[in-house]
Amino acid sequence: MQEKEVIIIGGGAAGLAAAVACEQKGIKNVLIIERGNYLGGILQQCIHDGFGLEKFNTSLAGPEYAQRYIDQVKEKEIPFLLNSMVVSLTPQKEVTVINNNGYTHYQAKVIILAMGCRERTRGAIGIPGARPSGIYTAGVAQELINLKNYMVGEKIVVLGSGDIGLIMARRLSLEGAEVIMVAEKLPYSSGLPRNINQCLYDFDIPLLLSHTVVDIKGNGRLSEVTIAQLGKRGGIIPQGRRKIACDTLLLSVGLIPENELSREAGIVLDNITGGPQVDERGQTSIPGIFACGNVLQVHDIVDNVSLEAEYILEGVAEYLKGKLTKEQEINVELGEGLRYVVPQRLISRKDTIFSFRVNQPGRKKILLFEEGRRLIKKKSLRRVNPAEMVRIKLSSREVEGIKTLKVRLV
Amino acid sequence: MEREFTCIMCPKGCLIKVEYEGTDIKNIKGDECPKGKEYVKNEITNPLRVFTGSVLVGNGDFSLVSVKTPSPIPKKYLKKIGEITRRIKVEAPIAISQVLASNLLGNNIDLIATRKIKKKISLSY
Repeated sequence: MQEKEVIIIGGGAAGLAAAVACEQKGIKNVLIIERGNYLGGILQQCIHDGFGLEKFNTSLAGPEYAQRYIDQVKEKEIPFLLNSMVVSLTPQKEVTVINNNGYTHYQAKVIILAMGCRERTRGAIGIPGARPSGIYTAGVAQELINLKNYMVGEKIVVLGSGDIGLIMARRLSLEGAEVIMVAEKLPYSSGLPRNINQCLYDFDIPLLLSHTVVDIKGNGRLSEVTIAQLGKRGGIIPQGRRKIACDTLLLSVGLIPENELSREAGIVLDNITGGPQVDERGQTSIPGIFACGNVLQVHDIVDNVSLEAEYILEGVAEYLKGKLTKEQEINVELGEGLRYVVPQRLISRKDTIFSFRVNQPGRKKILLFEEGRRLIKKKSLRRVNPAEMVRIKLSSREVEGIKTLKVRLV
Repeated sequence: MEREFTCIMCPKGCLIKVEYEGTDIKNIKGDECPKGKEYVKNEITNPLRVFTGSVLVGNGDFSLVSVKTPSPIPKKYLKKIGEITRRIKVEAPIAISQVLASNLLGNNIDLIATRKIKKKISLSY
């Protein structure tokens, strides 16, 4: 059994930022464990630009953003394992890793969960029809095209308007494919407005809201999908069906935090975010196990993943010094208008960054933090959109002495 | 003329309402930072975009290197640059920001690498 101060599971955006932040906090004997054969995770296949505007004040491509962190990890000689899979995590913070050297057991004082998320598949949304080839999740298509040099198809329909789907619609157009349409089940897009603009409108790709795929045909290879219009309550409008000849269907229908290890360790998960329930320091229900990045909540901007990793390191450093103490635990109560809030509970009354997603798009909304009927803080939001995570800080002064906390959007 | 623009300069995606004649902005609303005004100005005169794509690599640890134009280029050239990137091939090793093609379309459009590519290590047993 090897002993480590901190083990970081995952070497993507969150894991790398957490590792660099460990070093900055003076924490030694850290290990990053990465399943893939390179560091940087999903950033390496996100070759479009727009990363780093907040963190580095410049627009970078995904691999450039990753390299800034990889360079720091290498410069600071933070150890990492590649091609190494964590197969077991216990509540006592024992980690079992399998790789070319066989099994290795580690005992850590702190675990940082940074496993990211994976895509929902056709099976998860239950599209009926034949099962031909030519149906990909958008991220898999992105990996094939951007890293492996395989073109996925020529005539493409995208289902779901998540950011990866939009980015891939543009990417495929630039690679010479015909993107016939993007269909979205909801009456609003689930991607960022700027991506609708620069990925669809720039390439004359129509976005069909309140539409979904209801049938798939193809013998061997996909040959046709049936698109249907959805009514106000989400039911299929029979006369709104049409057949579209295509050879490829890309799915961009949501992301699921990868918490199999967390679940096995007995960490309490949040039904809505799919990630662990955490306190204001990113600590899960098991003391000393922290979470950050997409494994905690799916982010839309990588800069926020890095910032979240740095933010939870405050708690990691306090925990290692024995200073992360529970003063008085309260649950953060979720009111109307909001889909979720992270953190789900407070254990002390320190400066806290809250992350939210709203239920539906809206204009001129007010976010309220309340203790019973007493207003703690309010924040006006000009426009809100479920695609955009909102992050707001409450200072230690604002949360001092509170016994309950409720957040809602009016 | 009145038009709404979704600014693409940052993830905020401000909705900017503009009243303009020809290329003259008469009234602008909803731009939360100076980038917004500049973006709209370009949109009504000469829309600009950063091109990103990938280029084939010989003898590298990855088979493709991701590339971008170091500065935004006229939007109308995006597809043409896409066609060019499908035809060129470069050799490893490649450093980030290394110029991989220059003065494309006779318009001073360069392509620079956004990924570090190492030479493939050939193993002999």
